[in-house]
Amino acid sequence: MARDLLRVENLSTRFFTGEGQVNAVESVNFDVREGEILGIVGESGSGKSVTALSLVDLVESPGRITAGQVWLRNPDLAEEFPEAADGSFVDLRELPNGVRRSLRGPTFSMIFQDPMSSFNPSITVGEQIAEAVEVQRRATANPRSTRSRTQGYGLASYLVDGLAPGRDYTDEASHERAVELLEQVGIPDPAERADEYPHEFSGGMLQRAMIAQALAGEPDLLVADEPTTALDVTIQAQILELLREIQTERDMSIVLITHDLGVIARMCDRVGVMYAGEIVERGTLEDVFDDPIHPYTQGLIGSIPDLDDPAPRLQPIEGNVPSLLDSEMGERCYFANRCPKAMQECLQPPGEREAGGEEHAARCVLVDREYDELDALPDNYFGSGGERG
Amino acid sequence: MPLLDDLLGVLLRGLSGVLSPRTIRNLRSELRSSVLAKIGIVLIVVVLLMATFAPLVAPWNPTSQNTSEAREPPLGFSRVENQTTQQTVDGEVQIINEQVQVNATAAHPLGTDGLGRDMLSRVIYGARTSLLVGLLGTMLAMVIGVPVGLVSGYYKGRVDDTLMRIADVSLAFPSLVLAIALVGLFGQASVPVPDPFVTFGVAEVIRGAMSLPGGLTYPTGMPETFTLPGTVIVVVGVVNWVWFARVARGEALGVREEEYVKAAKSIGGSDGFIIRRHVLPNSLTPILVLGTIQVAAIVLLESALSFLGFSGTTLSWGFDIAQGRQYQTTAWWIAAMPGLAIVFTVIGINLVGDWLRDALDPGIEGEGGGV
Repeated sequence: MARDLLRVENLSTRFFTGEGQVNAVESVNFDVREGEILGIVGESGSGKSVTALSLVDLVESPGRITAGQVWLRNPDLAEEFPEAADGSFVDLRELPNGVRRSLRGPTFSMIFQDPMSSFNPSITVGEQIAEAVEVQRRATANPRSTRSRTQGYGLASYLVDGLAPGRDYTDEASHERAVELLEQVGIPDPAERADEYPHEFSGGMLQRAMIAQALAGEPDLLVADEPTTALDVTIQAQILELLREIQTERDMSIVLITHDLGVIARMCDRVGVMYAGEIVERGTLEDVFDDPIHPYTQGLIGSIPDLDDPAPRLQPIEGNVPSLLDSEMGERCYFANRCPKAMQECLQPPGEREAGGEEHAARCVLVDREYDELDALPDNYFGSGGERG
Repeated sequence: MPLLDDLLGVLLRGLSGVLSPRTIRNLRSELRSSVLAKIGIVLIVVVLLMATFAPLVAPWNPTSQNTSEAREPPLGFSRVENQTTQQTVDGEVQIINEQVQVNATAAHPLGTDGLGRDMLSRVIYGARTSLLVGLLGTMLAMVIGVPVGLVSGYYKGRVDDTLMRIADVSLAFPSLVLAIALVGLFGQASVPVPDPFVTFGVAEVIRGAMSLPGGLTYPTGMPETFTLPGTVIVVVGVVNWVWFARVARGEALGVREEEYVKAAKSIGGSDGFIIRRHVLPNSLTPILVLGTIQVAAIVLLESALSFLGFSGTTLSWGFDIAQGRQYQTTAWWIAAMPGLAIVFTVIGINLVGDWLRDALDPGIEGEGGGV
């Protein structure tokens, strides 16, 4: 079994907004192994993207990671920061800001949902990828010097820039590397395309360029936040194929965030299903897809059309994702109000339970017992049934 | 004006390294459809040429006095002067009061001031002061204001609160009063800058080869130095930085939420890198538009300061207006000519500013500090 690259324990991310505290990610546990693709699937607003951002430490104010640890396997850092270390793992949240930033690029990299807005419209694509190369080159050249920490953008450079605005940030070598990266992600005529602006690219091409930019730092872990959502189906397939290729080629890990079970089934080794900020079920692809325990997972899988059995009606999950406002969440299984198998016991927080199999776990009482109609909650228990349809 | 279009085309192509092709296209198409923009450009170009080549185009030394030619009216006007002469008739001294008509002369097309200095030459030299203060002052305001605004908008939170409260305080202070206080505090540091045309003898040669209307030769001996009103430049920069800080902050607040900023963070970019490479370039348009408007505002502020006697140079439109005030009823042109120069300059700059605004970003409204 491959080693763990990353272990996430009890991670909670909250947003402190004017309307109250939003629990976007709630006590999430999972691990990412070396060279695997981990899928995180869930509806809109279930906390998938915030989980991804929490991994790479890019949660923006008013959001904050409030609890939990993100353990990264990095023996060098573990030696340097023994107070944050556990064996060869370091807790990212305990590391100084500068060190955390230096991990972005060589350790983590991220690709985003909308490639069209993920490039600066005023700089050529090649230049932006070259910048990513250059940032890493400068950061690693001499990690302790100020020049390296500011990546050549200290106060002095602002003054020089004011006098000579045409000064190039990137050099020839970074540009060549950028063209090389563009070629690796399958962009035809990479040398010419590198000199074009983002608006001259198609969405699929830009997503490829985005991947090239993410690869510039040779990351161990690529976090892909809905990489194919903004693309049409044929391009989706190509991008997924590309991700798979580079994953096997470089033996890196990918955390793939999506709401598309088809993408998960096709790409991932292991899956986590998110609902209302929690991972409600996780395990290997086979365990979760063939033997789902949580009624939510069952519902998700039940709402996929089946080619072999073209039933006229799909079985949707009734109702909507609950509000994540702390004041409205209460202490119970958050799915209970939409759950067809809700019981009295579901009014308590379920906690995560091991369900046999290799690391198969779910936050549901049904792991340990069968559904019993005598215990069932009345249909209109959570209000006038509006939420249950 | 096809010639103007061609000239500007060449100029804009020269900027193609800095501006994107789309921006240049917008600038050209906006210019083609706007008469006002053309007028503005013509005004600015004229003032710029006047200011640059002042020692070549000014007919007289603007500082040489000649009391016998004092208060000559501009072309097309005349002035009636009460003259008192003493005459000895039959051994008696007679005092004769008579009205003498003083006519305009071609040598002084805009007339002369109270000390007989040529108004046209003074207006031409005054353009130097106004434009230098306008441009350098705006640059200084930009250099102070834009980084403050970008940092403020990018970091938000406490940094933003602190910087913007400081900005609010300096905004609440009347800018003219602040300017006067600063000039009073630091004195008038006027730097004499050697005039390159005179120093290298170019002015002598060219002026010697030209002649004035009315058969006069072009007088040589132009001022060898030009006074740069240092304090005034610093003062207008310090007074006007707030506008740039505010606009830059507003832009940075928007740009920081862009996905590409997040992408830049995810590849490990430092804050300095992100602000310089992503936030600044995408905030630049409104800053540039504000810059043009600020040049006009600062030209006005400089005039006001030198009118009040704080400029440290005597070759300034505001100073001349102040000088002309005492002749308001008898020689209106002494105040009116520099006044007109201010009006045309400010209108020209504002028209160009409108053109830039319409071409670069139709969404933004004009904003700027006035005096």
